[in-house]
Amino acid sequence: MARYLIVDSRDLTEYTGGRFIQKTAEQLQASGNQVTLFLIENGVIAARQGSQMSANLTALSQQGATVLADDISCSARGVLRLADGVTQASVDRLADLIVEGSDKVLWY
Amino acid sequence: MATATVETAVAARVKKVAVVLATGSYQREAPTTVLRLVEKLLQRGVDVNVWAFEEAVTLTNRDQIDHNEPGSLQKLLGEKHPNVGRFIDQMLRAGLHGAKLDWVSCILCVQERGVEKHQMGGAIVGTLGDLWKFVKAADRVIAIPTYR
Repeated sequence: MARYLIVDSRDLTEYTGGRFIQKTAEQLQASGNQVTLFLIENGVIAARQGSQMSANLTALSQQGATVLADDISCSARGVLRLADGVTQASVDRLADLIVEGSDKVLWY
Repeated sequence: MATATVETAVAARVKKVAVVLATGSYQREAPTTVLRLVEKLLQRGVDVNVWAFEEAVTLTNRDQIDHNEPGSLQKLLGEKHPNVGRFIDQMLRAGLHGAKLDWVSCILCVQERGVEKHQMGGAIVGTLGDLWKFVKAADRVIAIPTYR
């Protein structure tokens, strides 16, 4: 089992790669790995409560993955309420995850 | 057994991070995000090596000028619109007394953009060989993708 940190800086709906990165997170988690999806920059748009994409993030968290959304990115975009299963976090948390909480880092 | 667990945890702690960045000033949010993260990594005693190429070599152009913000917005935004290079400069200097930040700008990219002679003090003009050494030495490599 490995600890994967996936940082998503792009709007998940903007490119088809957004679907791929979600699939990657799901498959890694389903394969017994520990996945943290950290949404930052436009990545947090998907975490807005009620958005179509937010259901996927909720499902990912129900699978056991940790889904986090950068606080500054959220406030800059007016994302005030997050989808179920998504927690707001600071870049301090991201640094901690890189330093001590992950084995592999993927940045999308 | 408990000792072994502690040793494993200590061994797993990241001490050196390499960041590969190709996004320039005023293009996307990536340089700001990288700087936010680099600051936090340095605070944790992690050495950071940034390999800047393509448009990212303009980030360390020392001749960038802060423009005035519009008068009506200065209360909100401040008097000047600061450039990213200013923050890089601050972090390079902060490394003198703690964890170290090395910032290397690709030689081909600076020459193509005419900024080779304009790189700020502390930024090093280097080659792909430096990138290779950064990657080889790093506990974690973070490649920031560009938008195409």
